[in-house]
Amino acid sequence: MIRSINIFLLCTSVAMLAGVYALKFSIEGTANERTALAAHIAEQEGELSLLKADWAVLNQPGHIGPIVQRHSEELAIEPVKQEQFGSFAALPMRPAKPDTAAMDALFAAIAEGVDPIDAILQLEGVE
Amino acid sequence: MTIVADGLVPTISLEGARKQRGALTQARIRWMILAVILGLALVGGRLVQLGLQETDQTIEGQTRDVITATRPPILDRNGLEMAVDIRVPSLFAEPRRIIDVEEAVRALRTVLPELEEEWLRNRLSGDRGFVWVKRELTPAIQDAVMRLGIPGIDFITESKRFYPGMNEAAHILGSTNVDNQGIAGIERHMDGESVALLQELGLARGNALTPVELSVDMRVQHIMHEQLVDAMTRYQAVAAAGVMMDVHTGEIIALASVPDFNPNEPASALVKDTFNRITAGIFEPGSIFKTVTIAGALDSGAVSITDEFDARYGIRFGRYTIDDFHGKHRILALPEVYKYSSNIGTIRIMQAMGKEAYRAFLSRMKFDQRVQFELPEMRTPTVPNSFSEVGAATASFGHGLSVSPLHMVTAYAAFVNGGNYIAPTLYKRDLSEAERLYERVISAETSANMRYLMRLNAISSGGSGSQMNRQALGYRAGGKTGTAEKVVDGRYSSSKVTNFFASAFPLDNPRYAMVIMVDEPKAENPQSGTTAGWNAGHITGRVIQRVAPMLGIAPDFSELLDQQIVPPAVRRLYPEGF
Repeated sequence: MIRSINIFLLCTSVAMLAGVYALKFSIEGTANERTALAAHIAEQEGELSLLKADWAVLNQPGHIGPIVQRHSEELAIEPVKQEQFGSFAALPMRPAKPDTAAMDALFAAIAEGVDPIDAILQLEGVE
Repeated sequence: MTIVADGLVPTISLEGARKQRGALTQARIRWMILAVILGLALVGGRLVQLGLQETDQTIEGQTRDVITATRPPILDRNGLEMAVDIRVPSLFAEPRRIIDVEEAVRALRTVLPELEEEWLRNRLSGDRGFVWVKRELTPAIQDAVMRLGIPGIDFITESKRFYPGMNEAAHILGSTNVDNQGIAGIERHMDGESVALLQELGLARGNALTPVELSVDMRVQHIMHEQLVDAMTRYQAVAAAGVMMDVHTGEIIALASVPDFNPNEPASALVKDTFNRITAGIFEPGSIFKTVTIAGALDSGAVSITDEFDARYGIRFGRYTIDDFHGKHRILALPEVYKYSSNIGTIRIMQAMGKEAYRAFLSRMKFDQRVQFELPEMRTPTVPNSFSEVGAATASFGHGLSVSPLHMVTAYAAFVNGGNYIAPTLYKRDLSEAERLYERVISAETSANMRYLMRLNAISSGGSGSQMNRQALGYRAGGKTGTAEKVVDGRYSSSKVTNFFASAFPLDNPRYAMVIMVDEPKAENPQSGTTAGWNAGHITGRVIQRVAPMLGIAPDFSELLDQQIVPPAVRRLYPEGF
């Protein structure tokens, strides 16, 4: 009886020893993995900071301005002039109601086979 | 056990054997307890030893945390980065682990030839644990050094400040030193505020810091800087500077001064003449100060907008006679005094107000103290504590006292925004916050009169701001020129001048005030002059023409807007208004 208990205890100790060893090694492995990941993150953060700085440089008006100037002739662009601004108030108002008489006349003409747009297109030589 | 003993061992010897055994067991237990206590004491002792041991975390006297400390990114008002942190490798050596110093020196100098041989040899010899070799290198150099494979040489990643805008906002941002501490500009101010504390507590690590938002608009800043750099060549000027401010909130929208420096190379800031002329430069403001005199006189009630002043003859003070530059030599109404920039008229206006009242008004406008502002580079203005008769006369047209352009832009903002003084700021501030800081300096009515005068100067024929208005048509801009003669060898020189143009736009509902300064300009071409309208005025016009659409101000050519700002009193005198 005592013998069997002893054997049982011995076996459990050996098993637990093995278990603890395995655990220790797996933890060491995890720690290594973690360190490697931390280093990787630090490296990528460094790269990210450089990319962000790059992005900030590319977005600066001081960077874009000279590019625009260099290509202003090709693209036919120049700084906007005051006269080029309009306002909603300056747009003509929509007529109070549709010009029904003119519409009727137009539909009648199309029904008769005379298309006013055709006449314009022919005049300009467009088929 | 007792059962076995009972059966096999004779009774007499049983007692003795039992006792013997019991004694032995007790002895064994005692030894065991002693061993366990000793073992525990050993473990405990080791724990105490480990606890007392201090690991060396310092790098040449500084903690590692300080080296890798980060600063918050700085953004402009639209969220564009003006300053960011980048991670860069720095090269260090552990001399006690270097085997062959000569070989290490030779190898390192193949990659970094700029290192001096003797210095490097001294640096690498000895028994020290850590020395810097070169800080803030590029990843390419890091790779090359790693490939050399020298033992005892390694890299550490440091944070370095990078300014993507290069020179453009140099004077606003300032710069940082190699340890990432602010040494100038807003960077230095931030350190004083909170960043230094965070770094000290070791909290400023990683990218978690909240960005700092400035009031500056980088688009406007770019235009301002571009025009000032252009002015340096166009007018062969010694220096040029400009500042734009939101008149209601006091936010600085743009601030530039050339020659400037590249904040990415802090050493370039040490070159002569690169100081910030807007805050750290004090100048005799010249005629742009007439606006201050007239505002003070109108507000005191001593003169009214329709009063007339005798400008037929120069005013004598002992041996000196003060006369007008291109004078009209007739009786001028107050708007004409402003428009023709008459020295005589301005002196008479100041005299009507009284020199004590005038001096008190300058104090109310805070001309005799530093402007309350974030940048550390500030100079105290020189304004006499009390004026003599002649001192007050010259001060009325901006001579005999020196103030910074920042003083002038703050004063102009107060004159057009309804009469409230608001200290400028580089941080974002909303209107409700600004209104709590308002200090009334002139009445709303005087402010309306000042808006009229400034606009009048731009659109009426012969007004000194007409050159500016030609460029900025439609944006209802107006302002005042100032041509201040410089003192050369103790005398005022007519060939060396400092030119100013102080303006505000759009004057029907003012939003921005601006001061442009050009130092010692020459004529652009033989047809043009060297007075302020020709250079500072032109720059102002060009800047407004470019930035007004960005700031959401639509051009409007209708005369109605200009007619609306004419005060009724003036309209009774001049029905046409201008």
